[in-house]
Amino acid sequence: MESTAIGKLVDGHTGLVSRSIFSDQQIFEEEAQRVFAKSWLFVGHESQIPNKGDYFVSQAGREPVVVVRDEDGQVQVLLNVCTHRGMPVCRYDRGNAKRFTCAYHAWTFATNGDLVGVPLSKEGYGNRLVREQWGLIKAKVTRYYGSIWATFDAAAAPFEASLGDMALMLRDFLQAPDGEDDGLEAIEGIFKFRIPSNWKFGAENYAGDLYHSVSHNSVQRIGISESGKSGRHTWDADPSTFRILNVAYPAGGHAARVSLYDDEARGYQSQWAQSPEADEYFRAAHYARQKRLGSRSRLLNRGGIVFPNMAYNAAGRSTIAIWVPLAPNLTEVWKWYFVPKNAPQAVKDVLRHYLLRYGGPPGMVEQDDIENWASAQVGAESVVARPLPMNYALRLGGGKWAWPEPWLGAGAYVDEDWSEHSQRVFYAHWAEMMGGERQFRAEEQPA
Amino acid sequence: MIDLSSSVKEQVENFLSYEGELLDERKFDAWLDLLADDVRYWMPLVRNFQHDKPEMEYTREQCDAAWFDEDKKTLAQRVRQITGGDHWAEEPLSRTTHMTTNVRIDGIAGDELTVKCRFLIYVNRRDTEIRLFAGKRVDILRRNGSSFLVRKRSIFLDQTTLLAKNLTTFF
Repeated sequence: MESTAIGKLVDGHTGLVSRSIFSDQQIFEEEAQRVFAKSWLFVGHESQIPNKGDYFVSQAGREPVVVVRDEDGQVQVLLNVCTHRGMPVCRYDRGNAKRFTCAYHAWTFATNGDLVGVPLSKEGYGNRLVREQWGLIKAKVTRYYGSIWATFDAAAAPFEASLGDMALMLRDFLQAPDGEDDGLEAIEGIFKFRIPSNWKFGAENYAGDLYHSVSHNSVQRIGISESGKSGRHTWDADPSTFRILNVAYPAGGHAARVSLYDDEARGYQSQWAQSPEADEYFRAAHYARQKRLGSRSRLLNRGGIVFPNMAYNAAGRSTIAIWVPLAPNLTEVWKWYFVPKNAPQAVKDVLRHYLLRYGGPPGMVEQDDIENWASAQVGAESVVARPLPMNYALRLGGGKWAWPEPWLGAGAYVDEDWSEHSQRVFYAHWAEMMGGERQFRAEEQPA
Repeated sequence: MIDLSSSVKEQVENFLSYEGELLDERKFDAWLDLLADDVRYWMPLVRNFQHDKPEMEYTREQCDAAWFDEDKKTLAQRVRQITGGDHWAEEPLSRTTHMTTNVRIDGIAGDELTVKCRFLIYVNRRDTEIRLFAGKRVDILRRNGSSFLVRKRSIFLDQTTLLAKNLTTFF
């Protein structure tokens, strides 16, 4: 299929999206080239590798990588593929190493990727093998407030440029509850599981699908938040008034789901009453954040997506999921959980237990999402339904630029309430990367 | 539960089978009654580790991430979620068969027994979805009259990447 034809499978203005983008094998292969190979991808967090030689394996899209702090203390993201004959050079999920030696023919690489050992180098290669040409393939790496991003596209724009005004949201997410930058640390252990569905169903959900509230009736009924009140979110216990905003950033395809509180000076309302120590921690953090951020502390960042496949939840539920596309109908999910690095251990424990109850395959919230995404794949593959596009037309045409607060960014395109606005932006950007035209553009950018 | 067994080992095996039966017959509240009020229920994540670092195989209890790290309150919440008819990940309910085997009493201290076993759990969800969970379990059982209560359950699943989309089954 011509790329321009693929680019026309999404109409962001009518909210109609062809089912084929979730099921077609050829589109899936094109997507690996045009979307994943051209994007900055989240691969992990610096707190996972505090010391030289610390490493863990991760995924940059479908590409297996080793994320390692090299002997100079630099974070490297290396393709986990021996340059000799293709076998992964690192076969452990995490650890500390001075070298990576391939188990096949023992080519040996330093933690910065350099080829430092070749058996029969003299006898077999006559010292003619140019080692500089045969180091591990290295990604470009950006460290952003503790998070680690990689791309194998040598021509990629800098990470911050691809992020654009979404930087506000990503930086906020990576702050501690008191507003301190780079405030999170990863809980040890990455969740890995597989969903029989296209990766985009999970991604678009994180971009902004507040409409799917019915999915979570059961956990709302039980109540798992630590506020002691019903529901799954701690913020449900805060009676302060706010606007729900779907804040999309069309230039990069990113989006965040946020609450914007009306009162900048609002007092702390107990949201962690089950644990007095946590409640006290969040009370102090609330006021410290107000003092640090001023009017921007009105923002409660609930979660979002950095295009294409880094999905985060925030607001007491700090997690990052990446969607690894294995096939049109098979996605592997890797999931990291975070706590504020400077919180007392007792508070970290409360947060960890809440997170374990919330997300992933054992999560009382996300189990229902996962069931949905897998079930939606049935409709994506229906031949009879194929002429009928998927419908993302909820609240068409409500988007406003840099609204209601200019500090959301000139590139912020925002709609209120339950809307499929951010999903439309997500798919429009996907289509643009697949060869289509830009669909959402600010008419006039403020100087 | 009628218990005609005589040896302690037979009593333990009978108890583990009964537990599995209750789960398979969806008598979740009766299953909860077999858990001690101070029960701990833990299933770590599993990793590929270097041979000389076996301590890296499982994430650490009460510290790291885990598939499950539960107490009686949260297990009861999960039962209430599953039995409400609105938990779509288990509505309609899946079919499960729990098997325990290789049961061995590893130690006895006071009124508590440490019991090791292997488990095989088959789950059929909706039409063609199959989840197969095999692994090891270490249970601490507390004497309770002629039966037992589960005081602690540690579940070691033989999968690093979970080869199922959801964990809606009790182990």
